[in-house]
Amino acid sequence: MQAIIGPNGSGKTTLLNALSGASHADAGSIRIGGNEIFRLKPHRIARLGLARTFQTIRIFDNLSVIENVKVAAGCNMPTSLFNIIASNARQRQSEAAIDRNSREALEIVGLAGRANDHATQLPYAQQRLLEIARALASKPNVLLLDEPAAGMNMTESMTLLNTIARLKSSGITILLVEHNVRLVMGISDRVTVLDFGKKIAEGAPSEVQRNLLVIEAYLGRRHRHA
Amino acid sequence: MRKALRWKAWPIIALSAAVALAVPVIAHDGYVIQLLNIAILNAIVVIGLNFATGWAGQINFGQAAFYGLGAYTTAIATKAGLPWIVTPFLSVIVVVVASLILGLPTMRLRTYYLAMTTIGFGEIIRLMIVHWEPVTGGTSGLRAIPGISIFGIGPQGQIQHYYLLIATLGLAVLIALRVRNSVLGRAMIATKDSEIAAEQSGVDTTRTKLLAFMIGAIYAGLAGCLYASSIRFISPDSFSGTQAILLMTMLIIGGMGSIAGCVVGAVALTILPEALRFLGQWYLVLYGLGVVAVIVLAPGGLASLASQVQPRRARLR
Repeated sequence: MQAIIGPNGSGKTTLLNALSGASHADAGSIRIGGNEIFRLKPHRIARLGLARTFQTIRIFDNLSVIENVKVAAGCNMPTSLFNIIASNARQRQSEAAIDRNSREALEIVGLAGRANDHATQLPYAQQRLLEIARALASKPNVLLLDEPAAGMNMTESMTLLNTIARLKSSGITILLVEHNVRLVMGISDRVTVLDFGKKIAEGAPSEVQRNLLVIEAYLGRRHRHA
Repeated sequence: MRKALRWKAWPIIALSAAVALAVPVIAHDGYVIQLLNIAILNAIVVIGLNFATGWAGQINFGQAAFYGLGAYTTAIATKAGLPWIVTPFLSVIVVVVASLILGLPTMRLRTYYLAMTTIGFGEIIRLMIVHWEPVTGGTSGLRAIPGISIFGIGPQGQIQHYYLLIATLGLAVLIALRVRNSVLGRAMIATKDSEIAAEQSGVDTTRTKLLAFMIGAIYAGLAGCLYASSIRFISPDSFSGTQAILLMTMLIIGGMGSIAGCVVGAVALTILPEALRFLGQWYLVLYGLGVVAVIVLAPGGLASLASQVQPRRARLR
């Protein structure tokens, strides 16, 4: 579990976009497992096992809660127009598998009870959880969470933290981008601090917290001497 | 839950099927049946349009041109003496090729640009039909097109055509429902709602849009094939830019994204102009006001009205 923190405009989301293919970096190399994913289209990267959530919520408004998750759950399923139209055994099997995976993912984030609701009927905090469920449904190796606690109150953040901690123990590599330093320190193994697009510190949470450059980036130069 | 929904839908399905089957018994008038036949064909074309526009969110003013391509392919082929049975296949081949030619370079375009390109495509097809006179009959169209016949057996008279077309519409609805509840249908709607999130969920949005476009073109092409061989007369007017806008209006009035809405919109807007004919020149005013009223009062289309009734009833209980 790796966290990336940094003040506003330090390049956290830009980094996630470059990793997930939403925008392209100018140069470099990004690899998942043995696969080079630099400059691949986002859906190819997703199918190679990288899933993400968004800082501003992007759920599918015209689909139900479970259908939102099914979009990602079906990403590695072969689709054949013929099977769909014939609605044959193979098609029903793959739909059943998608349904199972999607319900599991909803179970993990605690939304199983709302599977058949319209996605827009969920309150804000649960829409964020839905995004996480959707990301999980593609069975990723790497999960990028972009400020998952943004806009949540204290109780909601704590529930979210528990969920993330459980995911971590299930063996997924999580890259957490957070603005809120306190949230990150408790659950991260390593923390990287960005400021103006540059890495200014890296290490265990406790080390980073004591790093002078980090304190400076967050609080400004004057506090260093204070 | 899904099962329960399906059970709730049964009475409605049974009722609409019963009404559809009983119509020829009540309306003996050949003119009325002819009008209904055109309404059913339009419904198939609009369900096709719904794949790309209602679900995948791609504005498509080329649907009338695909309709025309299917109709002209069938008319030209059967008039040249080919057996009818080959014409659905020929029509599908022609519209798939055309939709690839139009779709491959344009599926990356968005909104206005895509709209402009599809309008241009429709105009090119119309001009080809108008100017390639020896083959297409030019502006006067093609007459006496051979009817539907499979190894000598085919529907006779308008009522038999009506039942054949209703059955085809049923099949078109069934296939659209299956696509909607599959990986492909969900991918289409996800693409419309958030292209970025769909891509990051592993959806190849370019391929999805192209498929939606192509399936829609096949619907239009097959409807065109049936149009030519059941109405037996075609002219460029039936597949012009005005028709493309009318098809889009049917989709919007009926309810974007709703299959039932497509059918309701197509039937309403095919029959209304004829039903209001007694108003003379005032009919256009009333028709226009009606369209505006639906857009203002029910932005989700006529189909959304039905779903609004249910929660209200639930609250009363």
